[in-house]
Amino acid sequence: MILKIDMSGHIPIYQQIRNQIVYGVATGRLETGEQLPTVRQLAADIGVNPMTVSKAYTLLKDEGVIVIDRRHGAKINALPVFNDSLIADFDEKAELLISEALMKGVPEEKLKEHLLILIEKIYGKGELS
Amino acid sequence: MQIYIIILLLIYVVMAASSLSYIQYRDYQILGVTLSRQHAVHPEVKKIVNTFKKACYLVLLFSTVCSFLLLIPFIRPYADFTMFFMMALNLFANWFVINLCQKSLMNIKEQNKWIYPKKSIATVDLNVSRAKGKSAISPVWVWLFFILSFIPMVFLLINSDMRIFYPLIFSFIGPFCQVSLVFLYYQMVNQPSRILDDKTVTNLLFAQQHERINSITATLSSLSMLLFWILFSFSMLYMENSIMVIAPVVFLITAVLIIEHWHQKKMRKLEENITGSLSDGEEDVQERESTWKCGCYYNPDDHRIFVPKRAGSMGWTINIGRPVGKALYLGTIVLVLVVIIFAVYGGIKDYEIEIDDQEIIVDAAMYDISFKKEDIDSISLTEQLPNGIRTNGYGGANKSFGHFMLDEYGNCMLYIYSNVNQYIVVQLKGNDPGYVILNCKTEGETEELYKIFNSWISE
Repeated sequence: MILKIDMSGHIPIYQQIRNQIVYGVATGRLETGEQLPTVRQLAADIGVNPMTVSKAYTLLKDEGVIVIDRRHGAKINALPVFNDSLIADFDEKAELLISEALMKGVPEEKLKEHLLILIEKIYGKGELS
Repeated sequence: MQIYIIILLLIYVVMAASSLSYIQYRDYQILGVTLSRQHAVHPEVKKIVNTFKKACYLVLLFSTVCSFLLLIPFIRPYADFTMFFMMALNLFANWFVINLCQKSLMNIKEQNKWIYPKKSIATVDLNVSRAKGKSAISPVWVWLFFILSFIPMVFLLINSDMRIFYPLIFSFIGPFCQVSLVFLYYQMVNQPSRILDDKTVTNLLFAQQHERINSITATLSSLSMLLFWILFSFSMLYMENSIMVIAPVVFLITAVLIIEHWHQKKMRKLEENITGSLSDGEEDVQERESTWKCGCYYNPDDHRIFVPKRAGSMGWTINIGRPVGKALYLGTIVLVLVVIIFAVYGGIKDYEIEIDDQEIIVDAAMYDISFKKEDIDSISLTEQLPNGIRTNGYGGANKSFGHFMLDEYGNCMLYIYSNVNQYIVVQLKGNDPGYVILNCKTEGETEELYKIFNSWISE
């Protein structure tokens, strides 16, 4: 899987690393049990401080996306079993995004159509634009 | 004087070779200017590259001819100063040629509207990152060469009589240089590999070969340094003619240039082979001029302090966009300036010898000495000095002063003009220094000073 980090963008680098790994897992580009590079190696390859990568890995670990093993390093965790607690967090984020779309004048039908395409992309393991 | 000319010629050849390495098309750059593969072979670009090549050879030829000016009797007294001036002139000429050709390339880019995206995207293939270090040749070799670099030190510890010609402290220089090459090995192996395609197979293949070439280069450099160090130590201990010490230096420079050339050729071939098979390799061309200021890497967003050079293949430069980088950059400039100022000041300033009732004071740049009448054992005049080495002092074309170790005298303080074959030898009662040897600008003046010393002693 290829990470593309915008070094001059407004999204913090650790957030970009975290987001892209989450997308990678969701779309199947990163499989369960697959190892991630060491913090030091990934930091050297991106050209950032190891603390930045460490922050992203800690975030992913807290979210349950990866497990960090003392001997084997970071590995992709198995996808969690669905439970209602995931919905509450999702609702908060999705409501905000839908509100932003409404503020920008996006019609309801157009938004529904667009969301279905995105769901198909992720659940259908398609390419992300 | 021949040694000065040989040093200058070596520096000129190294400068010309590194300038010429800038025209190799690597990582979408020629002469440090970003160009896509298609634009890099444009006739106008090729014309500038050819002009650059000719200019480099012209600078080399002109500098070589100028170096022989040191043989002119009028210039010889100012040889140290002239040598620095010639080196600075050569450096400036090379910089000027590079700068001029860079500007011409930028103009061509502007006229033809060759615009590349400026967005700074770092692309990393997680599979490539994970496989790092697996294709390199073993680091055991560089560590072995490091251990072997202690041979001269062990030899000096066993043969203590040899330390007169080769002080033990000097034997630390080799292991120090060798450990920096161990650092080079790890830096070259961990260098981020370029991501050429969306396919991991292509990226992995490129990264593995890239890593292998880099590790071989670092190991060969380390081997060259070890051979240089052994040869250098041998020539210091056993060569009668001191000019032979230059032979290991010539060997090292030649070896480094050959290794550098081999590395560049291999990397270019690898890039051509892999990028040539890609249908659209221009996608990742990014404008990078903004990250380079005054020939230095400037990127406050990049946390690295040492970054690989943008042109040429080996070596690193400092990121002056970071505070530590700025401090290192300024520190290096200050250090170089101090060395140059000291060398020029030492070369220009004459020795001042002051005699008062009780003591003689010799004033020379940074190496002053004073000794009292009762410290003196004897004073004599000689026309020849035995061979010896400088332990801490200044050794220029016309003067030598500071701490020296001479074969028959041992620890000495020298204040001599090299072209005057008349020396006053003041033997002191202690051993550190055991002798103070000095002379004046002419033999007549030296004899006059010798008489003054004698009458002062008998007073």
